[in-house]
Amino acid sequence: MKCNIAGLCLALAIFQAQAADRWIFASRVNVSGPPLAGVFHHLDGSGRRHIAVSGKSVAVVWEDNRSGAPQIYVTLKTLAQETFPAALAVSSGNEAYEPAIDAISGDRFVLAFEQDAAVFARILTTQGLAEPTRLSQAVASHVSIASFDRRVFASWRERENGRWFVKIAELRVANVNRLVIESLQSVETEGLETPVLFPVIAVNSAGLCVAWEDRRAGHTRLLFSHAGVAGTFSAPHSLNEFFSNRNEYDQGSGVTRLALSSFGQNEILAAWMDKRRGGSGYGIFAALGTDAGSMFGPNEKVHGEEGDKQPHNNPATAGNQAGDFAVAWDDFRRGDSDIWISAYDPGLEWSLDYAPPVASGSGEQTHPSITLDEQHNLHLLWIQRSNPDGPSQLWYSLGQTRQEQ
Amino acid sequence: MQHSPFVRLPVVMAILLTLSLDTLMAAPPDGYRFLSLTEATQVASRENKPMLLYFGRYGCSTCRKMHAEVFSDESVNAKYNNAFVLAYVDTESGNRIRLGSGETTTEMQFATRNRILGTPTFVYFSADQKPLFKKAGFQTIAQMNLYGDYILQNHYKSTPLQEFIARQ
Repeated sequence: MKCNIAGLCLALAIFQAQAADRWIFASRVNVSGPPLAGVFHHLDGSGRRHIAVSGKSVAVVWEDNRSGAPQIYVTLKTLAQETFPAALAVSSGNEAYEPAIDAISGDRFVLAFEQDAAVFARILTTQGLAEPTRLSQAVASHVSIASFDRRVFASWRERENGRWFVKIAELRVANVNRLVIESLQSVETEGLETPVLFPVIAVNSAGLCVAWEDRRAGHTRLLFSHAGVAGTFSAPHSLNEFFSNRNEYDQGSGVTRLALSSFGQNEILAAWMDKRRGGSGYGIFAALGTDAGSMFGPNEKVHGEEGDKQPHNNPATAGNQAGDFAVAWDDFRRGDSDIWISAYDPGLEWSLDYAPPVASGSGEQTHPSITLDEQHNLHLLWIQRSNPDGPSQLWYSLGQTRQEQ
Repeated sequence: MQHSPFVRLPVVMAILLTLSLDTLMAAPPDGYRFLSLTEATQVASRENKPMLLYFGRYGCSTCRKMHAEVFSDESVNAKYNNAFVLAYVDTESGNRIRLGSGETTTEMQFATRNRILGTPTFVYFSADQKPLFKKAGFQTIAQMNLYGDYILQNHYKSTPLQEFIARQ
């Protein structure tokens, strides 16, 4: 965990690396074309997973209202191509929101999204989109998707008879790339009267981890549950470990918008927005889990001292089997909002915050989504607006790993 | 670009239209007719009433303290329930609102974009839906009543808030 002693931190900072020391973001690629009046792109949803790399392809998924209503779109290019082709429409209902994507293998991806108060998943390949599969039975939203070793899992929230559930499905890829629900369970069999929000799932060789925002305690806590790949889920445990108690009304600081990624052989990175710093708004905090999230280490502050008096928003995580992991977020410490990245430095501390020049400067750069490939490269997707209420654009940049890595 | 939530709110608020909103999940104070932001905007416009926009958070301790010690007061209740249209935004909610620009966003993103750093934060609007002032943190019964009088008695048309408070 980061040192809080100012003098010592100052000394350490001399030797502390930046994420800039690991990745070079040389250029950026426009994903969505020029900004159009009245068209707004969104990268939002459980775990902020909007970009994935599979084989030699990178795919990005988002929501925008170009058709007059919010719908989901995806585009895919080879890593060598310099531009993204025209987007494919993923959703087909009245309105759709909060998509997610993960890689399966061999230039194949799995998408999930909310459409008309239900959640769906479908496969994307270089040949196009397969037919969608409805995952939910009742009113549902906040879907997340994760794949490992050609197995696919989805999590979402569902409300049945007035009670809230976190649902988990294993999906099998059947003929013509159609997804079939292989198994379906609730993390807790008894539904809750209080809402669960934004469950996100991660999977690796040791099993599954699902974590979510939970309001049963009378305030929001982040809970997680673990299951072996073929097993049932454990009783929920608290992920955030700081609970203030300033007065009779205080039950804990605000925590929200959890992101989760698998890295290494069986480890999990969790990062979230956390108000434990008091009047400075949300900070970005994280925890590292072992055994696919059967247990987590202590909470760690991700962002550095430079922006510590500022609020930070929209955290996204990424990890790969090579053991790399990173966190990205946006904040406006420089006036306009920029994208910031941090990763562990060689001393196993969170690095100095790094704002890639391609995703910072004039205008609003917000809502990052990131993924790490197995060659240690960091792929970054984000939204840019010239002003906070203006039309938007999506941008992509490849952060190439430095050779010495 | 300089950012001021107070300056930016009118730009967003003035063009709010209703599309859809989930059931309120957070906790405005009991005994008050708090509406979703989109509903409240419509009602305020239709009834030509001033609006109080309350940015809260589920579990917010200062919000709870105000509910127990301030919003429980009969004078505050009478003033705000009767004369104001009341809107509540949960700053951690995924509930969706649609802006007049055509953009659909969540309550949380709306709060973030307007740089609402803490809860409670109260934004007061005149009957013609112009933002007047913003107050963040714990407010006393006397303060809430003063803010209400400032608007309901039309002092805002001629006197800065600080000057009005100093006279009391």
